[in-house]
Amino acid sequence: MQAERVQPDTVEFDVRTDEMLINMGPQHPSTHGVLRVVLRTDGEVVSSVVPHIGYLHRSAEKIAEKLTVRQYLPFTDRLDYLSGMNMNLGWALTVEKLLGHRVSGKTRHLRVIIAELNRIASHLVAAGCMGLDLGSFTPYMWTFREREKILNLFEEICGARLTFSYLLPGGVKEGPPEGWLGRCEAFLDQFEPVIDDLHALLTNNAVFIKRSASVGTLPPETAINYGCTGPVLRASGVDWDIRRDGEPIYTEMYDGYTWRVIAPVGGRYPDDHPYPPIPREAAVGDSWHRFFVRMLEVVQSMGLIRQAIEKYAAAEGELDKPIEIRKKLPAAGAYLETEAPKGQMGFMIIGDGSAIPWRARIRSSSFCHVSVLPELCRGVLIADMPTIIASMDIVLGEIDR
Amino acid sequence: MDFAINWHSCFFLLFAAIACGFAVGVVVSSNIVRMACCLVVSLSAVAGLFFLAGAEFLGAAQLMVYVGGTLVLLVFGVMLTARGPFVSMKTGGGQWVLALIIGIALFVVLLQAATSSTAWDGPSGNGQTTVVSHSESSLKSNDGSDAAGQIGLGLLGVRSDKLEQEDRVLREGMSGYLLAFEIISVHLVVVLIGAAFLARARRRIRNPESPGPRIPESSHPRIPELS
Amino acid sequence: MAELLIKHLSSPEWLAYTIAALVHCGLLLAIALCSAAVGEWLERKVSARIQDRLGIVRVGGRFGWLQPVADGIKLLCKEDIVPKAADRPLFKIAPYINFCAVYCAYLALPFADGWVALDLNAGAFFLLAVLGLEIFGVVLGGYSSGSKWSLYGAMREAAQVVSYEIPLGLCVVLIVVVSGTMNLVEIGNQQAGWFFNWYLFHDPFTFVAFFVYVACAVASTNRAPFDLPEAESELVAGFMTEYSGFRWVFYFMSEYAAIFVVSGLGALLFLGGWNGPIPIAWLLGLTADNHEFLGWLGNLLGMCNFIVKAFLGMTFMVWLRWTLPRLRVDQVITTCLKYCVPIVSAMLVGAMLWSFFLPGGVIAALTKPDSFPCSAWERTVPTLCVGGERDSGAARKEARMQSLPAVRSHAEHGNEGYFQEENR
Repeated sequence: MQAERVQPDTVEFDVRTDEMLINMGPQHPSTHGVLRVVLRTDGEVVSSVVPHIGYLHRSAEKIAEKLTVRQYLPFTDRLDYLSGMNMNLGWALTVEKLLGHRVSGKTRHLRVIIAELNRIASHLVAAGCMGLDLGSFTPYMWTFREREKILNLFEEICGARLTFSYLLPGGVKEGPPEGWLGRCEAFLDQFEPVIDDLHALLTNNAVFIKRSASVGTLPPETAINYGCTGPVLRASGVDWDIRRDGEPIYTEMYDGYTWRVIAPVGGRYPDDHPYPPIPREAAVGDSWHRFFVRMLEVVQSMGLIRQAIEKYAAAEGELDKPIEIRKKLPAAGAYLETEAPKGQMGFMIIGDGSAIPWRARIRSSSFCHVSVLPELCRGVLIADMPTIIASMDIVLGEIDR
Repeated sequence: MDFAINWHSCFFLLFAAIACGFAVGVVVSSNIVRMACCLVVSLSAVAGLFFLAGAEFLGAAQLMVYVGGTLVLLVFGVMLTARGPFVSMKTGGGQWVLALIIGIALFVVLLQAATSSTAWDGPSGNGQTTVVSHSESSLKSNDGSDAAGQIGLGLLGVRSDKLEQEDRVLREGMSGYLLAFEIISVHLVVVLIGAAFLARARRRIRNPESPGPRIPESSHPRIPELS
Repeated sequence: MAELLIKHLSSPEWLAYTIAALVHCGLLLAIALCSAAVGEWLERKVSARIQDRLGIVRVGGRFGWLQPVADGIKLLCKEDIVPKAADRPLFKIAPYINFCAVYCAYLALPFADGWVALDLNAGAFFLLAVLGLEIFGVVLGGYSSGSKWSLYGAMREAAQVVSYEIPLGLCVVLIVVVSGTMNLVEIGNQQAGWFFNWYLFHDPFTFVAFFVYVACAVASTNRAPFDLPEAESELVAGFMTEYSGFRWVFYFMSEYAAIFVVSGLGALLFLGGWNGPIPIAWLLGLTADNHEFLGWLGNLLGMCNFIVKAFLGMTFMVWLRWTLPRLRVDQVITTCLKYCVPIVSAMLVGAMLWSFFLPGGVIAALTKPDSFPCSAWERTVPTLCVGGERDSGAARKEARMQSLPAVRSHAEHGNEGYFQEENR
């Protein structure tokens, strides 16, 4: 990357509130991970933003050149560690695409349940942390309380709360234990009123709206140019969801499900649910809409999980066994993008005939979201920076890999 | 027991010592911020003296206007212009001499004015050890003087404390302070408007060649050529 | 109290006053410190319950009553750190200035009828003046920490407190206009009786002014949603960053003590002070007319009432902090200058006009409509209406008129009044 010749250590304190260099991070309560953002401010107004990444770089892609595809699975957990199951799913599907392996319907339905549960968990963190960065601690506690219940479910099914390594290429590690599906449904039933509480405390809260409406508005063309995906792209009004528009090996997971893609096309959201009203001050593509899209996606995920539980219970056959441990990969490459909660997560694997890939490449959505920050943050106030970063919902694990 | 502490005198001496001592501190200190802080303490002690004299309204006004208002402004200005820690102000020898002359002259004038007032010779006649009992009754508003009300009426042009003045000659020129009040109020408004005007944010045209931290105008990352 | 000591213990006068003053100061110090301790307990417990967790449950039984004590002991034992770049004398003295300013406010705050350390004629004015002195501790603390970020946070906090002093003062002035006196004991006494005597229900303007007062009180004590200078994400903890241990305890105590003071002031000005919604003390006969001790007992009930109201205000502020996000600094100043100040100015004008034409308040207007024909005129120009309407039924109106000496002297002088002389 072009050297920017920034001297962030020379922070000048100019008495006439001239320009000042402020360093946010890498240790920081409000950057979501070890992100360092250097702001050049003119008084309170930010004139330019330079994000510095790499503090969490762990050579994930290089390590993939040393391990078999099944051995590599735990490393994918640590990419977007808040939604480990979706990372596992992406990797597993890429391997299956490379091998030409197709899993049975029952496995696909279980994968839908797991992936959407993790989407809810990840969006809960996003919502809670956005509230936290804006100063209200209570929704953070409530979202984490609900997230605990999801993590308990995951712990029952695979033994881990954060780094699951559950969705293996070819299948899943083990089937769900007795009564797990019933407990999932019980969780969903008690979760619905909590969403209304969160709407009352955050989405419809006048102070929250004041802080986030029309702040960091991302036009759709800029979003597409910078490669933004997921809720960030959809909140700018672009109707694109790779669960519906992606490759068949991924979209067949969601075949037969009734769900809506949440995007304010023409300023209007899908109306299949009594959603809270949109405030006047919010412009499509601002931080409030990015937050709102995530809240609405949670409702869609809940519907998907309920349908998947029914389909899984009704499906015949058994869950697939994963591929053998040292399965040889063909001398070819495969790239697949899946819809992770933060955006589109892409994995590319190039095999060379042996069990160990020749090259693996990870395309993370948060990387593009961080790269659009300088564009978004020109002319905002310093206090808007945490709002914008929180609404982007980045996680440094997948940016730095 | 004949031993008695005249608290009034004690507190008077204490407040006077603080006021004078910290005023000396203002002059002697070389750090601007410490000067400002000594001034705060000195003026607070003056407010204490007002309270001791039974003028609560004036004491509260002193606290609010001088200590709370003027000094906050002073401290702000001092701190915002202090380039680096502990800026020191050294006064040259000639300035010391001039200051001493003016100070001594002022002191002589004040001394003469103070000693010429016959009412201030010696302690008060009724031999109370504390003035508390007297001032307590005057502090109760229902009976006794309602100082705040009288001050207010005086500022509006009604000298209600002199209503019993029978002498026609002395009665004239007792029309209160309405004119002065209005003039000062307008003056304050003018000062406020002037300050707001002077402090307005001027929009500077950004000079692209202006020196400063070398961050490029556009923060687009430039992707290097792929080999 | 000094008279008591002189009478019963026959102590010399100076000693009696000394002991009385020390007892007053000690009691007030105890109240100030207890309010800080209870405030901290409230904060932790209420925040915990709002966040669906238990909160402090270990120290001192199931509800953690002694947690503030434990916290205090812990903080006392902490290492005394003074940053190298700090201005040592100023750094050390800054927290104490803060606490002194708040303690002075306690001196003038009445807890019951006559139960006030300093019964000042200009009590409301004094309280406002002293609450504004808290800024010094903040600014000095921020400056003397030797850190640019502390100074930055201190400046912003000071700017916010100074801005919100204006609408806060205007709210207090509104009540002073309505009640006719700056004496806080007097204001409390005027609200004696049932709850509709409270100034909150006096007229619609004071009703609105109460809510503006609440907003300004929250802002001037730097509580959420106005606590951006304290908790701004890149400023860590604002001016308090470099303070730890005992010095931090003083900042903390003065913050909670200030919350108690502004809550108590609000209760006094708008919610009747020590007068409960139902005049129980009067109904039970616990007044000074019956017996001195009974009067003292009635006063004690009143004091409990006052403290409960102040703590309710404190709980409300804690509730508010854990519910709402923070406002941005420009939004904070916008709220002050574009909303609070115009609203309270309009309310002030309205209340003045109301006091001029309908001096008895809403209840008196509803119950005694015939007492209002030339109310305002008589009070200023008594000679125009012979005899005046001073004997109207509303006792409060009379009491208020009595407290204006000019009126009294006019009435007494009758035709030889001052204005008559001028008009001749």
